Amino acid sequence: MSRRGAIASTLVGLSTALGNALVSETIARKPGWLQSLDPRVKLTGLLALVLAAALSHRIGVILALWLGATLLGLLSRVSLPTLATRVWLAVLLFTGVIALPALFLTPGTPVLSSPDGKLHITEQGIVAATLLITRVETAATLTTLLALTTPWMQILKSLRSFGVPQEFVMMLNMTHRYIFVLAESASQMLESRNSRTVGILSSAAQRAIVARTAGVLMGKSIELGNDVYLAMQSRAFRGDTKLLTGFRMTSRDFLALSGFLLIAMIAIWLGRA
Amino acid sequence: MSYTAVFVAHNVDFHYDQVPALRQLSLTVQTGQCVALVGANGSGKSTLLRLLDGLCFPAAGSISFHGEPLTAANLADNKFFLSFRRRVALVFQNPDVQLFNPTVFDEVAFGPLQMAWNSAEVISRVDATLEMMGIANLRDRPPYRLSGGEKKRVALASVIVLDPEVLLLDEPTALLDPRSQSQLIDLIQNWRGTSKTVITATHHLEILEDIADRVAVLEQGSVTAVASPQQILSDSELLLRANLVHAHRHRHGDLIHSHPHLHSHSKHEHEH
Amino acid sequence: MHIPDGYLSPSTCAVMYTGAGVGWYASLRRVRRTLNARLIPLISVFAAFCFIVMMFNLPLPGGTTSHAIGVSIAAIVLGPAGAILATSIALAIQALFFGDGGITTLGANCFNIAVVASLVSYACYRLIASNAPLISRRRVFASAVAGYLAINMAALFTAVEFGLQPIFFHDPQGVPLYAPYSLRVAVPAMMLGHLAVAGLAEAAITAGMVAFLQHADPALLSAASGGAAATLAAEPIRPNSLRRLWITVALLMFLAPLGILAAGTAWGEWSLSGETHYTSSSPSSALHRLATIWTAPMPAYAPPFVKSASFGYLLSAMFGVGLVLAGSLLVQKLWKRRSTAGSTP
Repeated sequence: MSRRGAIASTLVGLSTALGNALVSETIARKPGWLQSLDPRVKLTGLLALVLAAALSHRIGVILALWLGATLLGLLSRVSLPTLATRVWLAVLLFTGVIALPALFLTPGTPVLSSPDGKLHITEQGIVAATLLITRVETAATLTTLLALTTPWMQILKSLRSFGVPQEFVMMLNMTHRYIFVLAESASQMLESRNSRTVGILSSAAQRAIVARTAGVLMGKSIELGNDVYLAMQSRAFRGDTKLLTGFRMTSRDFLALSGFLLIAMIAIWLGRA
Repeated sequence: MSYTAVFVAHNVDFHYDQVPALRQLSLTVQTGQCVALVGANGSGKSTLLRLLDGLCFPAAGSISFHGEPLTAANLADNKFFLSFRRRVALVFQNPDVQLFNPTVFDEVAFGPLQMAWNSAEVISRVDATLEMMGIANLRDRPPYRLSGGEKKRVALASVIVLDPEVLLLDEPTALLDPRSQSQLIDLIQNWRGTSKTVITATHHLEILEDIADRVAVLEQGSVTAVASPQQILSDSELLLRANLVHAHRHRHGDLIHSHPHLHSHSKHEHEH
Repeated sequence: MHIPDGYLSPSTCAVMYTGAGVGWYASLRRVRRTLNARLIPLISVFAAFCFIVMMFNLPLPGGTTSHAIGVSIAAIVLGPAGAILATSIALAIQALFFGDGGITTLGANCFNIAVVASLVSYACYRLIASNAPLISRRRVFASAVAGYLAINMAALFTAVEFGLQPIFFHDPQGVPLYAPYSLRVAVPAMMLGHLAVAGLAEAAITAGMVAFLQHADPALLSAASGGAAATLAAEPIRPNSLRRLWITVALLMFLAPLGILAAGTAWGEWSLSGETHYTSSSPSSALHRLATIWTAPMPAYAPPFVKSASFGYLLSAMFGVGLVLAGSLLVQKLWKRRSTAGSTP
């Protein structure tokens, strides 16, 4: 990586992450199958499927769950290219690299040996690597679908209705809010530094810039935090949030929930040891 | 003490850590007045607004609201707290500070919910306020997808939904484009002549005549002059001393002419 | 070091959620006892800050880059309770909103990165910096060490959680069902990267920010100063509450299986049948040798009862914590000796 690249790549990283976030808000507003469900149903149902994939000992079951997840995605206006770029490729690269040595390192019956007899790929290794990759892909697909089809506010409200303490939900809410504010601040600071330097920066200089930026950012964060508290007090906040209730389960939601749980149970049963 | 005074600040001292922000500040605001606080950055305008909103308390001196002292002890009383918070509203300079809910609707609903109104009333009031501010189309928008002008309007909406008697505005025109600025000025003008009290902190001198009946000048934490906008604006010595304008020098032939100068959109006219 | 879904078995996830839950509960209680309402926006903004810091690429010696987490500086500025909450929230948002990092493994990630790293960072910093003035090089040094150790401890816990998977969770044919590498492989593989690279990144950013704050706003460092008045969340720390800190750490050790490979080969084995199936292929035996380099300490001296798996973990956990503590105390003593010997502290 070029010496100047660290700061530039940070900027790219920041804007990519935020850009992705904006895309997910768009998908959450489309008229798709998952989008039409009560968020609590989605949270419970999709997590049940993730659990089923996690508990299964059989690759076939996991693959079936993966297929199901993809179908759910298509029904919810989440296209295959979107899933491929956001989830599948990233997982394949990351987990693939991690799983690769398992082919050779897992003890067991050799299936393929190198000509000189030093390297062996074992059956167990192949199965282990496949299990890992398919599990991670399936789980990632399901959790991404949850994130893509549910507006953040609804995720928070569902958490609240599941009994997550009020302070946590409030903090999640505000953190989410201020990630965007701080990211913009950070981008502006880094960009201005980037444009003011001429030539290649040494590693130490870049580290200094990053540390300074982080320091200033932290100062701003704390000031922001204090000011936000004042603003909240000004609107009569004293530590207890009151939320508008808004969730009502329709019969469709109940059906969907039963469907999710049934499939999860079948998958767990089929995939048992 | 006049019964029509809404705020009386008397010899107020305030500091941040060791740095003094307000020194022996005294000011009286009558009900229904539109007052502008002008002063350079650091003169104490924002600090004063926060003290008037009961968010911090003076180290010395006193502030009272309709005769009731604004102290931590008084605001600890639930009834007074809720009543005060509903009647007095502060709009911060930085709208991001004030937008801490996931959507515009939630933001405007926050205040009413804290006041424990019932859900139906909350929803109807919020929708009405959004209509009035012209931001009904932004109802489900998250704050990070709003422009500067929209954020300011949401921040305003979030306080006027409670129909307060007093509005404290901290640099409301800052960072706004000209059209949003004039919309904001129109809004403030709508409140003039009603029983609402509006106190605006600004260093935007051109709008003073539009938004205020009285202007109080702050210098280094004290009020040094209170007069009508016309009087203040014509006192160039005061303006220069208070760092509200800068001296502008230019040549006329062999003469070097210096005069207090205010950058404005209007034609540049001065006497020689 | 974020663990995605699928690497840990559901039972491991459950255990880790319990561990994290203890951390969350204790932190929340502590936060509630102090100025509750004011902390909520403060912790939230700090969480947002941690989130952003995780995106900063830091160039390191050797031409690599890595990224820090920010949990160490959070612990120094907010205190451990605030840091645990702030980092957990950042991780939760990564998982729930950005879809980055698992939901079933959120408990494990929070335990490793939010709880363990916060406590280690805070403890090291306090121990090494002790009563040094707020603006002193000793504090910068202390924060660098704190950051380095905190991340490596978190990595260690992660590595052990990985490494235990194939031991406990495999099918009758010996196929590992989740993370496929045993402790011998997982621990060195993970630790190498963190000892050499990521640890330096965290140390750099923690020290860099402490140095910056010393000039820009020293009051922010007073929460963990032990002497100066606390302006932020933490109450001034008294000696006996430090003891409570150690007790909490000890309790966490009882809950979480972890270990430095110090005791015997009993639980480094692949299969419960006791046979090792390592083939003669060079990569695996080379890695094997690498792994044994630092498993050397106690193998032959482990008494028989240590062969019991759970006790072995407990022992190593205590050993690990002891190492960290001893290291910090040693550094503190050396520094004190150096400063009293020559110039004024």
